[in-house]
Amino acid sequence: MPHQRVSSRRMGVALVVVFLMAGLLVSRLVDVQVVRADELKEQSADIRTTSEVIWASRGSIVDSFGNDLARHVDRYDISTDPRKVGDFRRDGEVVTVAGAMAEIAAITETNPDELLYAVNKDTTAHFTYLVKGVSPEDRQLLRELRNPWLQMDLVRERTYPFGPVTANLTGMLGRDEPLAGIERKYDSCLGAINGSATYQRGADGIRLPGTTQVVEQPIHGGDVTLTIDSDLQWYVLQTLAEHGSNLGAQYGSAMVVRVDDGHILAAADWPTFDPNDFSQAPVEFMGARSFSSPYEPGSIMKSIGIAMLIDAGYTYAEDKIVAPGFYEVYPGRFIKNFLVADDRQLTTAGVLHTSSNTGISVLADRMPKEAATRYFQKFGFGEVTGVEFLGESAGQVLSADQVDVVTRYNQFFGQGISVTAAQMASSYQTLANDGVRVPLRLVDGCRTSEGEVVAAPTAEPVQVVSASAAQQTIRMMETIVSQGPLRNTLEIPGYRVAAKTGTAEIATSQGYGDDRVISLAGMAPAEDPEYVVLVSFYKPQTSRVSTAAAPAFHEILSHVLKHYRVAPSTEPAVLPPLTW
Amino acid sequence: MTALAISSAGAPRAKKLQVAPSTRQKTATNAVPKLRYIVVLLAGIFAILGGQLLLSIAVSGGAYEIASLKSDLRGSHQQQQIVGEEISALVAPDTLATLAGSMGMVPDNNPAYIRVSDGAIVGEAQPAEASSGGQVYATTAGTETITPPAIVEDVFTTISYQAALEADAEDVLAAQALEDLTLEDATATTVGAPASDAPAPRFGGSIPSPVTR
Repeated sequence: MPHQRVSSRRMGVALVVVFLMAGLLVSRLVDVQVVRADELKEQSADIRTTSEVIWASRGSIVDSFGNDLARHVDRYDISTDPRKVGDFRRDGEVVTVAGAMAEIAAITETNPDELLYAVNKDTTAHFTYLVKGVSPEDRQLLRELRNPWLQMDLVRERTYPFGPVTANLTGMLGRDEPLAGIERKYDSCLGAINGSATYQRGADGIRLPGTTQVVEQPIHGGDVTLTIDSDLQWYVLQTLAEHGSNLGAQYGSAMVVRVDDGHILAAADWPTFDPNDFSQAPVEFMGARSFSSPYEPGSIMKSIGIAMLIDAGYTYAEDKIVAPGFYEVYPGRFIKNFLVADDRQLTTAGVLHTSSNTGISVLADRMPKEAATRYFQKFGFGEVTGVEFLGESAGQVLSADQVDVVTRYNQFFGQGISVTAAQMASSYQTLANDGVRVPLRLVDGCRTSEGEVVAAPTAEPVQVVSASAAQQTIRMMETIVSQGPLRNTLEIPGYRVAAKTGTAEIATSQGYGDDRVISLAGMAPAEDPEYVVLVSFYKPQTSRVSTAAAPAFHEILSHVLKHYRVAPSTEPAVLPPLTW
Repeated sequence: MTALAISSAGAPRAKKLQVAPSTRQKTATNAVPKLRYIVVLLAGIFAILGGQLLLSIAVSGGAYEIASLKSDLRGSHQQQQIVGEEISALVAPDTLATLAGSMGMVPDNNPAYIRVSDGAIVGEAQPAEASSGGQVYATTAGTETITPPAIVEDVFTTISYQAALEADAEDVLAAQALEDLTLEDATATTVGAPASDAPAPRFGGSIPSPVTR
């Protein structure tokens, strides 16, 4: 039958076609599944796989009460692609570009015209920043605008919650690296290393389960703990600002040290800067001058000199001497006193009380200059303090063979020797602590992100002078507060206070000029000192005598006594006679 | 041993060969379990496949949940950071001093103490000088442009508002007391009365009293 033949032939053709197509499919299948399988799998994984940064945060700098002085915060950089900027619909209403910019500007407190300009200046650009450093709060508000062309990227920023209060100590973080202070010196503790991970995600952006691979673990930074009490530091800084500006001083520094352990509770430098916004700050106000700027301290060194002389057995508090009006070092070269030109019968206590240059020269003559140099070095002058602050100055103590016939006496009243405020505070801590110098401490330690506490290394205390020498010197310093012309300013009702004033001439290339550094160092309660305070003002203009530093010293010391609830003195002072 | 015993016992009775029924019976009993096994096997396979499907659905569902929880966690971290920043701004010494000054507080640098053991007063108390309070000095060269967070301004406004209200209330009470005094006889006992109507302590009295040590 022809009909049957046709249909069977048709069947045959159809079969051949089916087999051919099946063959094609099978060969394609084999090609995809077997021959190029690995290559294709890799390609698809590449498309699905994205990598992400696992952010690690830089550690905080905290004060002794755990308040953050520096810490990292999340901020967002708001950017857009100018090509995509346009009107969009929200809840059925059209939002124009200008309207959208006005909304953004209102939230971020920026100028909408500037935002428009950023987008319009180059409409072919692929990327432009609109606002940088937006807070998480504002970012949340921006998200609620549901603006399709806004892009927000997380950035890490450093913030200093207390602003200028501890800026001199913490230093600041620049764009890429720490620039100064603790931030820089302790970068190895604070620094963080971001990690990274890869994962695969579906078309809707959800990560596929079980595909996350951490390539590198993030390493969070540790926290650096300071010995600073930021409340006290603030008060000290305020006092410096108040009195420093009244005095017309160029700058001022103050330090509060706990006697027992040498902890620096406050170390303020005025004027200072705000580490949150330092781009315009003058460079000279950006450091910690208490550590970095050595100066010739003047008469506050006399207490140290007297303690040395007593310790070596050359004198004692009631020792009777005649302080000449002029002390002749060699024919034609005299040491003078401030305002006193006649010979006076003073005890050693009287020499310190009246701050007699000639009196202390008489006493200094008894000590060989080699011994004096050794004592100065033992007090810590000429070497950096235990703090080892970034860029700390060691000051200068002349070696015995460099000390000439005049300097030999001058050193005892603070000339021919240069020291930092920190060294000076440390030497008064020594007197207050029965002659034992406990190296100053500013950084207590580093707590790593795993919670391990690494204490900062401690240096061994040094017995510099005997307890008796230290105590006798303190009794003499008490007479300055209770019987001197400054008693109305310096006395703190209920407490025994010991202090010494100093007016140092500032050496210039033409010898000593008119400018002064005025300072006051002291301690309380004098019968068993707990706190040492040092205040100094550089180049005061309205008054150039050390008495001008007294109000600031008094305010800080009485605040310290109140702040730390120091019990008032109960024993009456038994003070040495000043004249004979 | 028992099977052997049975067969030896039955052997003399059954002499005829009765193999066929027994094999037929065997095949019948064999055929039924085979089918059952196949059904069980297939059911098992499908159950496993189904279970696996359900599991992977659950796992993918979990992935969505994880994604949403992670975003919640980020949100909470962010919230914590926002609040933390606000707290830092409020506990900053500058802020505290300004707020205290705005409430009329002045620093007193000459306190005295009561010794708990014998009730003795140590130290010489002196009144604080009102002139020294409240002022906060700028401590920088004045080159920065940072403004304090909005929360500080908010708290400051609230406190000033509260303080003003209380000052008004105190004025009213004082005026009333004065009025009472003048209206009533000199023997009037109402002098102490306003004390009991004294305004509620600031901040609802929730600030804890300092612990004396």
